[in-house]
Amino acid sequence: MPRKVAVAIVGGGYHGLSLAFNLADRGVRDILVLDAGYFQGGASGRNGALVRGGFSSVEWTRFFGHSLNLWIGLSRKLGHNVMFTRRGYAIVAETDRSAAMVERALKVHAAEGLRSVGLDRAGVRRVLPAIDADRVKAAIHFANGGTAPHHAAMKAYLAACRERGVTVRYGTQVTAIERTGGRASAVWAAGQRIDADAVAVAAGAHNPDVARLAGVELDGAGMRIEAIAVAPMRRTIDPGIALIDRATYLHQTGRGEIVGGCEIAGEKPRMSLASDMPVMAHTARHLATMFPSLGAARVLRQWAGQVHVSSDFGPLLGQHPDLRDLWLSAGWLYGVAGAPASGDLLAKAIVTGVIDDRMAPFAVDRRRRNRPIVEESTVNLEH
Amino acid sequence: MARLPHAAGARLAFLWEGRVVEARAGDTVAAALYAAGHRMLTRSRKFHRPRGLSGVFVADHLARVDGRPNVRLDDELVREGHDVRAQNVWPDLDRDLLRLARLIPRRWLRAGFEHTRLIPSGTPLFERWEAMLRFLAGVAERPPADQRIPAMAGRRIAADVVVVGGGPSGRRAAAEAAGQGASVVLVSRGTPPGAFARAGGAALPDLPESVTVLAEHEAFGLYRDGRLVGAAPRDGGAATAIDAGCVVLAVGRRSCPPLVPGADLPGVLDLHTALALAHDHGVAPGGAVAVIGTGDVEAVARRFAALSVGVGAVLETGRTTRILGNHAVAGIEADGRVLACDAVVHAGPWRTDPALGFQAATGGALRLIAQAGRGNVTVVGSAAEAPEPVVWGGHLDDAALVCPCMDVTVAEVRALAAAGEAHVEVIKRLTGCGMGACQGFPCWDQLGAALAALTGRAVDDRPTFRPPRGALTLAQAAGLAEVVGPEP
Ligand SMILES: Cc1cc2nc3c(=O)[nH]c(=O)nc-3n(C[C@H](O)[C@H](O)[C@H](O)COP(=O)(O)OP(=O)(O)OC[C@H]3O[C@@H](n4cnc5c(N)ncnc54)[C@H](O)[C@@H]3O)c2cc1C
Repeated sequence: MPRKVAVAIVGGGYHGLSLAFNLADRGVRDILVLDAGYFQGGASGRNGALVRGGFSSVEWTRFFGHSLNLWIGLSRKLGHNVMFTRRGYAIVAETDRSAAMVERALKVHAAEGLRSVGLDRAGVRRVLPAIDADRVKAAIHFANGGTAPHHAAMKAYLAACRERGVTVRYGTQVTAIERTGGRASAVWAAGQRIDADAVAVAAGAHNPDVARLAGVELDGAGMRIEAIAVAPMRRTIDPGIALIDRATYLHQTGRGEIVGGCEIAGEKPRMSLASDMPVMAHTARHLATMFPSLGAARVLRQWAGQVHVSSDFGPLLGQHPDLRDLWLSAGWLYGVAGAPASGDLLAKAIVTGVIDDRMAPFAVDRRRRNRPIVEESTVNLEH
Repeated sequence: MARLPHAAGARLAFLWEGRVVEARAGDTVAAALYAAGHRMLTRSRKFHRPRGLSGVFVADHLARVDGRPNVRLDDELVREGHDVRAQNVWPDLDRDLLRLARLIPRRWLRAGFEHTRLIPSGTPLFERWEAMLRFLAGVAERPPADQRIPAMAGRRIAADVVVVGGGPSGRRAAAEAAGQGASVVLVSRGTPPGAFARAGGAALPDLPESVTVLAEHEAFGLYRDGRLVGAAPRDGGAATAIDAGCVVLAVGRRSCPPLVPGADLPGVLDLHTALALAHDHGVAPGGAVAVIGTGDVEAVARRFAALSVGVGAVLETGRTTRILGNHAVAGIEADGRVLACDAVVHAGPWRTDPALGFQAATGGALRLIAQAGRGNVTVVGSAAEAPEPVVWGGHLDDAALVCPCMDVTVAEVRALAAAGEAHVEVIKRLTGCGMGACQGFPCWDQLGAALAALTGRAVDDRPTFRPPRGALTLAQAAGLAEVVGPEP
């Protein structure tokens, strides 16, 4: 274990590794990534793998549009196959209210130069032949969206980091963060102190706890989200799908499994990796309702992951307002989609001090400044 | 293959791969096909190895029945005129050209098709390449678009004691609890409960009238520290959520095949499955059966002889170095000798499927691990006995399959171990081991044993055993949405 590093990164999920890779790519040496768990043990190894660039707000669309472009070139950049497939991504609206949101979002995409189209009935049947088209009021199709399976993409990030000399250690928990002279100056792990010019926190659901180690507060909380996988079958659903009124997302994996999850009313935020019955049952109901031919398909497994959700559901990116040299890539609900851009823009900020326009709206203290971002196209019940 | 003298049931006929097969009423499709000499039921995912009913690995007896993909043929009762077709083959089971996949260097197929370096994403060819990989990996054709299976309204009941398993110890536990005035629900896969014990010739304690029996049901999950039990009938009917005061697991043990090449061949059966074939369906597992096992193997052989099954060889499982055969078992190699046989029945090593107990008694925010004192679950009967070690004769052979459903070989595990990768969760994600329909049992035990042998360190660790186990369709699960709300 090194005694002194340029940047100590807490968490080796998508965001810790993406940041480490981009720092190394910008020429930073002595980067250390510490992760308390095992490789892919966090949300980065338990997710729905969906990637899209377009949302309903300008802020999200700019950030995630950039990230989508990076995903497309990522295999080349990392030198390893991330298997990001551009099978498309569809947002499906079943009510007048969400259909109106879809119309607004399409305008945002057009203004931002993002490739998206509204699907008419024939379009729905073409792009989503298995869906019950009678239930669809409106839909957006992103031809460029798709899925990034973590077993390939995380493996690629880790390999690329190690090839560039980044030290990545799993099974090594950060137990303390030291502050001296108003800045984060060192982390403790494995009973040892490691001096750092900067500390970056990308600890997923544990972000608020890790921030507290440095004596600062963070908006939002860690919570469980759950998903299911349906027994494999050949090509049935091409794009990733958000069933916006059902707070449900799904896609069919390269292995043929249909993986999806949903949010249900009344579920209290809780930290747990144990799965429960209701989300599985509701996800099954949404799948069987929207894809009626799948009713006899078997649920292969269900599982839970944990994420850090901010009060406006958006990421928290940048330096902490109360502690210099403490950087955050936190609040990731769409952390697969956002991983390439978060590493890219945060590394730029750390190395050059320049806060990119696409990142600025997601500043860590926006809640305190009462500047939440209103984003209506995420898969949440709160809308 | 001829039926045993005690075979009964009216004759009926169904279609297998377009050909007429004769069956007896009461047969499962798997039993009827076995009786008719159709041992190979599908081909494996990556290497397209022949696969048939094993009792251990679910993926080896999934087929398409009347258009429904991924039907478990050991659950499905034969009906007159059933149209049953093999999956993951093209154009058909016998001529399967997809088996040319075997010519692809195995190195490229590590971890399935998903880690290929050949064509990286972002290149013009990738989407087409990925579509092909999806076809190869997808295994089953999708259901017909006009198929409509409505949600099955779920139900919710409560009991002081939920007993899982209808064998002797489950029955005893249920009777005891009922005798003390507790309300008891007993969940059993068997029809009636206790099928394995009965097939083995054992007497079964009676169940008091007051015990509610969910027969032909699978307990698919223990949630909320075991206070919520999910159970679903194997025929696709309504699922049940049970609020449980406490849970008694009397799930017995299963036999694990030896970790040797050929253990995935059609005709290698675990004792449960072989006894069910012989006793319940009057189907001989083979003409000359090799019985291997860990305990009193002679007694097992005698039981088969009593059922008029011809036994050719009897030996300890741990002496087996290889099971031979092309499309089905042709012999077994032990102690450097080859013994001819046309089926292998293994009766041990015996191990308990830990899934339900694991689900009820684990916690943790970085990883789910067993926590002492957690979960209101008691394990009784043979399920509570210490697991017997996974075995293989001679050396650990690279060609042996740690996880037959996903075609994960010892060679893959060896390569990862050599690269310093010894965490079972990481190996699971890198190889897909345990990601098939059996959901980790017994392949994670085999992975643990292989890893221990390769690294010289004890590996007690297992990846997370997740619900739902076994049978639960989307339509069944959907019905539970109305009856179970979020945990308070
Ligand atoms: C079921 C599910 C489905 C999802 N679907 C999608 C989707 O379709 N699309 C999408 O974009 N996103 C999706 N997400 C969200 C996405 O997975 C996450 O946003 C993303 O993985 C977060 O990455 P991360 O690096 O921030 O956190 P994580 O991957 O959770 O990594 C954090 C790491 O920090 C480590 N850590 C914690 N505390 C410490 C400490 N004290 N010291 C050292 N290390 C520590 C943990 O061990 C962990 O490995 C989904 C998430 C889940 C759970």
